[in-house]
Amino acid sequence: MISDARSQARQLPHGLADLFYEQAAVKTELETRLQDTFRGWGYQRIIPPTFEYYATLSTEASPQLEEEMYRFFDREGHILALRPDMTVPTARVIGTRLYDQTLPLRFYYLGSVFRYDEEPQAGRRREFTQAGIELVGAGTAEADAEVVAVAVGALDAMEVPRFQINLGQVAFLKAILAGLGGEALGDPRLENGDLRRIEGAVNRKNDVDLRGVLDDLQIGGRTAEAVAAIPHLYGDAAVLDEARRLATNAEATAAVDQLAAVYELLDRAGVADRVTLDLGEVRSMAYYTGITFHGYAAGLGFDICSGGRYDGLVSHFGADLPAVGFALGLERCMLVARARCAIAPHVVVQGCSDPEAHRLAALARGRGLRVEMDVVGRTGDALIAYGRECGARHIIAASGGGYTLIEPDGARTMSRGELEKEIVTWTP
Amino acid sequence: MDPLIVALPKGRMQDDALDLFAAVGYPCDPEASSGRKLVFDDASGAFRFILAKPADVPIYVEYGAADLGIVGQDVLREGSRDLYEPLGLGFGRCRLVLAGPAEARDRNLRLETGVRIASKYPRLSREYLQQRGLSAEIIPLSGSVELAPAVGLADLLIDLVDTGRTLRENGLVVLATIMESQATLVVNRASHRLRHVAMREIIARLAAEVARRQAAAEVR
Repeated sequence: MISDARSQARQLPHGLADLFYEQAAVKTELETRLQDTFRGWGYQRIIPPTFEYYATLSTEASPQLEEEMYRFFDREGHILALRPDMTVPTARVIGTRLYDQTLPLRFYYLGSVFRYDEEPQAGRRREFTQAGIELVGAGTAEADAEVVAVAVGALDAMEVPRFQINLGQVAFLKAILAGLGGEALGDPRLENGDLRRIEGAVNRKNDVDLRGVLDDLQIGGRTAEAVAAIPHLYGDAAVLDEARRLATNAEATAAVDQLAAVYELLDRAGVADRVTLDLGEVRSMAYYTGITFHGYAAGLGFDICSGGRYDGLVSHFGADLPAVGFALGLERCMLVARARCAIAPHVVVQGCSDPEAHRLAALARGRGLRVEMDVVGRTGDALIAYGRECGARHIIAASGGGYTLIEPDGARTMSRGELEKEIVTWTP
Repeated sequence: MDPLIVALPKGRMQDDALDLFAAVGYPCDPEASSGRKLVFDDASGAFRFILAKPADVPIYVEYGAADLGIVGQDVLREGSRDLYEPLGLGFGRCRLVLAGPAEARDRNLRLETGVRIASKYPRLSREYLQQRGLSAEIIPLSGSVELAPAVGLADLLIDLVDTGRTLRENGLVVLATIMESQATLVVNRASHRLRHVAMREIIARLAAEVARRQAAAEVR
């Protein structure tokens, strides 16, 4: 049956979903593994509220993200919004409350975010779960490399089978374009719309569009040569040499050096084979200030995680601190992650009115098993049928003064003492 | 290694696209590609082609159901999918234009409200009007857009023009060019990374062939 009169009568709004049984279990398992990974690298959890002032949440938001926010009013008429990501609330907490703490700060977050997407796609719904980290107060290549390495660790922990991290550096393109006017992106000839056109064409690796934009803006010479080459600067460390050759100013060279240092550190950390360099990786150029990266997994057309350096973000909240981080969408990861966890009970115990049954159940739980007490008075064949339907390995039924233990290879009757000796040998 | 999957647009560009793959060493059995089959392989088994409606090609590629695709820029911009577009292929050239009856040349759209424009490209049309601060009602149609002004459904239209013959036959003229379009190679972002050796190879081969054809056309 593909639908039911009752679920039709009580529909969910478009773009939302209920998770239960295996999906809920897998999601919980991924959450556990991600948190273990983050904590293993010394990150502490931060739990910001689910909604706050719209003005706060729209800090540095792209026009698209602003449009996608769920907004509403409080009784005083203030505009509130559901958080569309976790980075901005985290930056607010750090910038307004934790700015004088010993640096660097390492935080991870895990929670729902809300976006009014036109059409939910590839696991991402209008409410989805974002997990990620922020490393604040360190502007070093070491900090950049750590965040990439944690991302690799997170994908490994979820057992994403084959993935690649596409690592770029927006500072390279920014420096080259800034060189046109001498001031950081302040060239009066280059307006925001023009930058977005360049960013868009580079990002799509569309040479035809890119040359068209450069011609329109009358950008020529070495700058045009460098910008036109950027979409092709992807691959291994060889692209770094090519990028150095194309650099039109000291800032551009410094940007390449920073990326080279990050790549070198990742190589030493043993994860360079999971990383491809791509200087054409320039999405959200207005927001990012240094390295950026996206993760891609076999069998999924969409990116599975993304991150980078945004040194300008925390300063909106009063403290000028460099920051680097990454986030992933858990529901999308669930499409490719192999991590699983069993949900069936190991043991079903006939419970009602037998005080000893509770002690036996507690003993088994102490061994780490999932133990379900019957609470509806099933006995005999009904209990066995129920236990088998659940997938339980051990079914314990009361029988006379003792117990019957039903297992896949047969049933045995025994005393409580014998059963206890049996239970302490069980493992999950 | 699994074949790379290429989504091709049914219709106008299909033969040109298959010719191009044949020219770089991946010919298809014409039997397979001319029939009703929607999925077929090249002779070497390196590529599997799937035939889709042009507007659907970017969707197949964005979701990774196809690794590569060939589709017009017009369709790409209308759909706004997140793809790499590494190569213009030189065929399927056409223009997206604003067109209407000859007398419309003298109208100043900026001063008008309630202008109706028929188009198969509602998104690009809206973007074009917005950028110019014009207000108009867009009437989305799925084909034969040139009919709309003739029967009073719309004042103007936004559509693709190849030779301009259809417009002339319907007494319409081009008022403005919105964008130039050509067949474009699109690539899924994940495939571009995860299959990068095969990707680099095919993109380089196609680029060389396109460059060769362009050079030959210039000599002529």
